[in-house]
Amino acid sequence: MIFEQILLQIFHNFNQERTISAPFHLLKGKRSGQTIQDVGIYHLHKFFSILPKLSRQHYNDILNSLIEQQYIKVFDEGSYLLTERAKEVAKIGEGYFFNGWYYRGNEHIFFARLSLIVQSLSHQGENQMSFSPIQKDEQIQQWVRQFLVVNNYKEGHLQQKLFEEMVSSLESSNLEERAKTIVINRLAGFQTAGLTWQQISYQEKLTEMDVQLIYISTLHSWITHILNHSEKYVLLHQLAKDIRVIIPLSGSAYQTAELFRKGYSMEEISHIRRLKISTIEDHIVEIAMNDPEFSIEQFISTEDVKKVMMAVDDYNTRKLKILHEVVPHLSYFQIRLVLARGEEVGT
Amino acid sequence: MELEKVLEQHFGYTSFRPGQKEVIEQIVNGKDVIALLPTGMGKSLCYQLPGYIFNKPVLIISPLLSLMQDQVDQIKQLKEKRVVALNSFLNASQKKGTIQHLHQYRFIFISPEMLLQQQVQQKLISMELSLIVVDEAHCISQWGFDFRPDYLRIGEVTAKGNRPPILALSATATNKVLGDIEFYLKMNNPYTFIHSVDRPNIHIGRKMFQNREEKLDWILEHVIETEGPGIIYTQSRSKTESISERLLQMGISTAAYHGGKDPLDRQFIQQQFIDGSLEWIVATNAFGMGVHKQNVRQIIHESIPSNVANYMQEIGRAGRDGRDALAMLLFADGDDEFAKFVGMDDFPNEVHVDLYIEYRRKDELPSTMIQNGEISETAYRVLDYWMHQFHPNEVKQQLYAMKNDKMKAVEEVLQLIQTKSCMREKLVHYFGQTLMEKPSNCCECCGLEYKDIIRKREQSDYKEPTVSWRRRLENILLGFS
Repeated sequence: MIFEQILLQIFHNFNQERTISAPFHLLKGKRSGQTIQDVGIYHLHKFFSILPKLSRQHYNDILNSLIEQQYIKVFDEGSYLLTERAKEVAKIGEGYFFNGWYYRGNEHIFFARLSLIVQSLSHQGENQMSFSPIQKDEQIQQWVRQFLVVNNYKEGHLQQKLFEEMVSSLESSNLEERAKTIVINRLAGFQTAGLTWQQISYQEKLTEMDVQLIYISTLHSWITHILNHSEKYVLLHQLAKDIRVIIPLSGSAYQTAELFRKGYSMEEISHIRRLKISTIEDHIVEIAMNDPEFSIEQFISTEDVKKVMMAVDDYNTRKLKILHEVVPHLSYFQIRLVLARGEEVGT
Repeated sequence: MELEKVLEQHFGYTSFRPGQKEVIEQIVNGKDVIALLPTGMGKSLCYQLPGYIFNKPVLIISPLLSLMQDQVDQIKQLKEKRVVALNSFLNASQKKGTIQHLHQYRFIFISPEMLLQQQVQQKLISMELSLIVVDEAHCISQWGFDFRPDYLRIGEVTAKGNRPPILALSATATNKVLGDIEFYLKMNNPYTFIHSVDRPNIHIGRKMFQNREEKLDWILEHVIETEGPGIIYTQSRSKTESISERLLQMGISTAAYHGGKDPLDRQFIQQQFIDGSLEWIVATNAFGMGVHKQNVRQIIHESIPSNVANYMQEIGRAGRDGRDALAMLLFADGDDEFAKFVGMDDFPNEVHVDLYIEYRRKDELPSTMIQNGEISETAYRVLDYWMHQFHPNEVKQQLYAMKNDKMKAVEEVLQLIQTKSCMREKLVHYFGQTLMEKPSNCCECCGLEYKDIIRKREQSDYKEPTVSWRRRLENILLGFS
């Protein structure tokens, strides 16, 4: 059910302007220009790359069930139409926190580290230092070895410290009980095996896909909480290192972003970097697209944003040339900023 | 030198298991050895112990990456740090580092494809080895069930003049395969140790059905009435899922297992099966290697295995504790056709040869076939190997011959299903051995009472109490105090 809700929400965001394949590529995190641009235009950052292993078969099965339940109509050329009841269901999906754009599957690295640390400490507590590691990836193993040594595991206090950090961060991170149960059930220790997806799905009476979505959503909000309060979580903060992707910009755009952050104007940056002003504009558009927290109101008034959005709606187009004719007092740069930001702006 | 002393010092055992000492003595004396030891009989000790006698690295060539990791883990559990696996899991810099320090390890596990790489070969030439081990050596033979083309080329390495002894290990091999091992590895008049393949405490049952539904009904009834732990082997991933689903609905703790499962799930399933919280596993042939469980009481073959050697290996996972166990071979009309079809699924055919040529002619990489979904990866590997060895027409002949072999292998299993004489005798014969003695309740044909072998299943309504996430975490990290 959760998967359906999320899917309908994505379809809703796409505003019937893309084909039925677009959500699939988004969830898989396809690195194509189209998908990346769509993330910005339709404001779909949260869902990008949350299911890298999703199979087309599975996706189509769910899609067919949505058609059967009359949430969506699909036409031959791949376009679609959402029914009214679909829009209600889509709203429920908004409740789940995701931040795919920033984590991009790295949440699994965080959990792999955690699960091997927990398994190691659990065995150490029982004086059993030889066991078969649950994580086979050599890099994870090396990382964990390092972590244990740096944090003086031999003193034997790490178990208690980690336990306290995990409990207090999970308790204050505003997650439902069910979500925390699912994540902790995936941990294993001395003479304690973890539960498989199938077993959890039986226990929680959810599909395996929904269990996994809750799991990913939980990791996203947990890691976000840890990063926002890093001073409180000395150990967990280390585990979350390099998990969040720093604004994924092209190298040159990144330098522009740095200068802009320091307070230089676009003209100054153009001068400093000896680049054409139009190039700097491209960079700013890229930043706006990639960083949902980057404010575009410094370049265009809220009112003008609304005007552009209305023009988009009225003429049902995103073509710059036509839009510029409708709102001639705005520059191409300003219009592109609005398009880069998509629906959310001004609302 | 007293081998027993080394055994106790490094492994904590006081005596050898059958065959181990003979094999190790020959190796220590510098002789090549072929050892056929059933799984679970301490095959790996045969090369681990010499590792502590010689002060030079032991090189172990192993075909399956997952198995390799398992073996490395096991050695590490014995507190041995000087062990490494050189395989495609390593990234470029890890690989470089490992090769550079290769001579410092005691045990070096390596995949055949890695062995053939030039930088590896150069390093190997510059260092002295104490022993070369070829694990799962039957993979070298096309008569074996698991032929790996890369294995044929191990001979290029073992043919070197001044080499240490070679130890070829396998759990199962026919006489023909034995000949191939000796020939292709260029072994020098090897000492051969063959453990009897017969496992008298495994009782061999068989059952025929009109159709697949009847068969499924029998399985469900049998599992609910008799005691596990057990493994049900079937051919397809989807079948493992559907059968396990049915058993779960009946309240039997079961898990499906196949190569497509989440890696962490696979670990959990193995661990739960070993600690006894899972009664039954429904699996493809991906389950079993590296799972060391002593008290498996039942093996059920829902679909017929693709050859006798596989069958032998799979039923061999029962009764490692020496107590009675039951192996049931089920058959419904049409199963043999299905088995042949599945066996061919991962095998290239003439059409693929033509496609391969076509790609080359268009100046495209033939491996594009995989991406275009025209051939499976496994099948491509076989095809690619032969296309480098022979002219296309010869490859076609070769593939045709191999295909015939595979068909024949299924036919041999079929004989086991149709035979009216002793099934155990037939199995042992297949490996070129003679059966000395028949146990009571020998097999379906000799007469077999299932209830003498396996116990009635006790219905237990006991369910592990579910604990809160906080308590669970506390138990794991701080212990069950």
